Amino acid sequence: MRQAATAGRRGLGRERLLGLALVAPSLAVFGFFIFWPLVRTFQLSTTGQDLFGRADRQVGLANFTAVLHDSQFGQVLAVTAGYVVLTVIPSILFALVLGLLLQNPLRGMRFLRSAFAMPFAYSVAAASVVFAALFNPAIGIANYLVTRLGFAPVQWLTQPGTALISVAITTVWMNVGYNMLVILAGVGGVDEQLYEAARLDGAGTFRIARSITVPLITPSLFFLVVVDTIASLQSFGQIRVLTRGGPTGHTTTLVYWIYHTAFENGASDYGEGSAQAVVLLLVVILITAIQFGVLERRVIYR
Amino acid sequence: MRGRAARVLALVVLAVLILFPVYFTIAGSLMKPGDIASAPPSLFPHGITFHNYRGVFRAVPLGRQYFNSTLVSVVITLAQLVCAVLSAYAFVFLALPLKRTLFAVFLLTLMVPWESIIIPNYLFMADHRLRNTYLALVLPFLAGGFGTFLLRQSFRTFPVELRDAAVLDGASHGRFLFTILLPLSRPALASVGIFVFLSAWNQFLWPLLITDSPRMQTLQIGLASLNDAEAADPGLILAGVTLALVPTAALVAFGQRFLVRGLTAGAVR
Amino acid sequence: MRPSYLRLLTAGVAAGALAITAGCSGSSGGGSGSSNASAPASDVLNKAGDVTVTFWHEMKGNNGDALNALVAKFNAAHAGKITVKPVFEGNYDDAVTKYKAAVQAKQTPSLIQVYDVGSGFLSDSGQTIPVQSFADEDHFSLDDLQPAIKGYYSKNGKLQSMPFNSSVPLLYINATAFKKAGLDPTKPPTTLDEIRSDAQKLKSSGAVKYPFNAAIYGWYFEQLTAEAGKPYCNNDNGRTARATDVTFDDPEQIQFLSWWKGMLADGLASNTGRNTDDAQAAFKSGTIGMGFESTGVLGGYLAAAGSKFQVATAPFPKVQSSDAGGPIIGGASLWIDGPGHSAAEQRAAWEFVKFLVQPENAAYWHTKTGYFPVTKAALDQPVDKAWVAQKPQFQTAIDELKSSPSTTATQGCLLGSLPQVRALVETAIESVLTSGKDPKAALDQAASQAKDLITKYNAAVGK
Repeated sequence: MRQAATAGRRGLGRERLLGLALVAPSLAVFGFFIFWPLVRTFQLSTTGQDLFGRADRQVGLANFTAVLHDSQFGQVLAVTAGYVVLTVIPSILFALVLGLLLQNPLRGMRFLRSAFAMPFAYSVAAASVVFAALFNPAIGIANYLVTRLGFAPVQWLTQPGTALISVAITTVWMNVGYNMLVILAGVGGVDEQLYEAARLDGAGTFRIARSITVPLITPSLFFLVVVDTIASLQSFGQIRVLTRGGPTGHTTTLVYWIYHTAFENGASDYGEGSAQAVVLLLVVILITAIQFGVLERRVIYR
Repeated sequence: MRGRAARVLALVVLAVLILFPVYFTIAGSLMKPGDIASAPPSLFPHGITFHNYRGVFRAVPLGRQYFNSTLVSVVITLAQLVCAVLSAYAFVFLALPLKRTLFAVFLLTLMVPWESIIIPNYLFMADHRLRNTYLALVLPFLAGGFGTFLLRQSFRTFPVELRDAAVLDGASHGRFLFTILLPLSRPALASVGIFVFLSAWNQFLWPLLITDSPRMQTLQIGLASLNDAEAADPGLILAGVTLALVPTAALVAFGQRFLVRGLTAGAVR
Repeated sequence: MRPSYLRLLTAGVAAGALAITAGCSGSSGGGSGSSNASAPASDVLNKAGDVTVTFWHEMKGNNGDALNALVAKFNAAHAGKITVKPVFEGNYDDAVTKYKAAVQAKQTPSLIQVYDVGSGFLSDSGQTIPVQSFADEDHFSLDDLQPAIKGYYSKNGKLQSMPFNSSVPLLYINATAFKKAGLDPTKPPTTLDEIRSDAQKLKSSGAVKYPFNAAIYGWYFEQLTAEAGKPYCNNDNGRTARATDVTFDDPEQIQFLSWWKGMLADGLASNTGRNTDDAQAAFKSGTIGMGFESTGVLGGYLAAAGSKFQVATAPFPKVQSSDAGGPIIGGASLWIDGPGHSAAEQRAAWEFVKFLVQPENAAYWHTKTGYFPVTKAALDQPVDKAWVAQKPQFQTAIDELKSSPSTTATQGCLLGSLPQVRALVETAIESVLTSGKDPKAALDQAASQAKDLITKYNAAVGK
């Protein structure tokens, strides 16, 4: 249907070759750096390492049993799930509120949009470093402000419960700019006449938002859920800079756990790290399946 | 109107919350150590000093790391764009054999999280003495499924009439691609380019593992190690952050329309 | 008759030849990764041109500057023959990771500084040539090294690496705050209970925001165990045979954790987390009355305190004053790499190592950083004596080491996976301080996890 109108079989054959030649570079990179390593991960997960991390013996499923029976395993899964929830939902909610507040042209809206989008300019490392300074137990401004407001100082990064929230706050702050821009673009695509009609019917601001705007931007919202969840599952920089997975592992997500087992503190346990990597793969596949199987159904496409 | 006032108030409160860290970044970088590393810390600088900006380059080779990040991100972006354009073209305009299977392969690469294959990739680089090289920072990312996916969607919506006209004119694939298709696909190309560039710019775990020489590290790792090395001097760290922010902040401030269109092309469809 | 006589003669000649060569020089050139690698002959350097020594270190800030000064001095004195290239490798943990990758890629440095807890791993690695071997080759006397320091880095009586930046833990005191609270900084607390009662005085007088602070650093736990005269791991702290388990069930260890928990709960201490930089920042800001830290930060503390407040130092406390222990040497040492490096390079590295322990250089290092001088002669250098006289805070460490008994407890635990075990202890302390976990339960859990790690490590080594 979209193929060029080529003449004859020889033309078709050449076209086929050309097609293969065009996808070959991508396939080569994928094969070498994604699929072959994927196989290697499974292979490595059944090995034990020598002093320097070289695989030198087969251990069957021992690494997997070690991972599953690890006292930290349940906590890692809980922390990962908690972190995803604590980042994705607030990121989208804040951005939604901002998007709705900024949708009607107000004076200086352009400036406000740029202002709110500023966190987007911060890379993961930049944002984490700034928040580390803010949350510093001894000289951080966050506690200074909190005490000035009359509350007790918060153990932002050194208390198990609050540490995950602090890391999540950093991530949400980073996400808000980008999320807001996406929602604004989606909101901009909603037909003005629908609002007119609703207002004529006597609908208030909240009603309009709830029944018209939000449903019509579900494609953007779904996109953000997917993108933010992926980013959340892959989060590493923030955790490494702010808490290094602590205290007592309460900010150790699956990804950080792999880093901790295979690389941190001079470790080189690539066998067990690979077993954890397999777990990560399964979790991601599961979550993607749920997102596309369940959530996407609710998206209203136009 | 009360609604209007409430809206403005809400916006102001949110602005303060969201912009405070930005203020802190810049103000803190201009503070003297006595101001910022004290307890209680000061909210406003008592006298501005640029001494932190001089010091930050002594602490880590920030300029060089800036260059590294830029070079690596640009190379990855260009490479992925080329691969994506070629692959998407093949999927949409050519009689590619096993098209469905190949496309599934491309989609599969989006499903596999990089972190679950990072160990073998690391070991490959370590064994072949590729640690601390630009090659190692760039090689695994020369192609990506996202670009192909997005461009394929964009090419699919390309008007049939224009395509048929080009064929009737006797245009080869190359001519069609370069003189007609690409110029008209600029938004999609921009969207892929920005997305890939930002992902590459933001990478943390991979550069952390395969570089340890400060002169080969990327900006992100440089900032993190600045944080480690100068923990007693937050002003210095914030100066480093401010410097790192300049290009992306400029993009947000002045290139917003471009950004919005680019970033959301994949979303709103 | 004749064949066996001939055989006997050949055997005798061969044995004689072996005896002669073994007595004189060791094998030339790099070894093949065996842990019996020995030092090359001293004349190897004369034939080589300019030899480069890549030196991986982890000294930053003030200490980094001092190290670079020493390197410059050495390079100037050996211009054209040896050039030492120092490479800053980040923190101690990262350096080991990088080293492992370097071994895999066969690109190891000539000389590497590795922290104390990495000694077990390095000595098991088969990648290094023991310093003892060089010393024997050159008839270089190691007797002047402080015995406690030498003991830490020795295995079976043979010195494996050259101690470089040695530290002991100290109790740092904000003398200005002490005086404000009516306490005498020259009569510091010596036990945990005394710290507590001084802390209470500090709190009630309002002299400081937090009377006590210490980073959640596993090193302090190791120190306290040694101060109590107890071992950290079995088999005499891994010194007589490979350690197979840790010993975290002593009443003193449990008491330490309970004490710390109580201090925090009663508002006598603050919790700045695991990062020692954060704890240092707290002390430097003048809001802490007493804190644990290493002698290595004394220079930085004095510079930061400036005229804001006075800094005093005291020995690391014991649990009970009757405890018959002492501190363990901390810090790092220098390891000379064997496989993959030419004989000339190995010798060049040794020349630099020797240079660093020369009395004047060791004294320079001591006075610039606060790290403990590794040789006794360094202490007698006029520069050193003057410095210590001017800054009496430096004397505390010297006295502390002199009065420390030389036992396996104070030698510290030799364990290949010590870095990770230390992290487990830190997690245990964290759980006690922040999650209200019972000290004994926390230590038991850490011990069982440590045992798994050790078993895995021993499996990876022993073949």
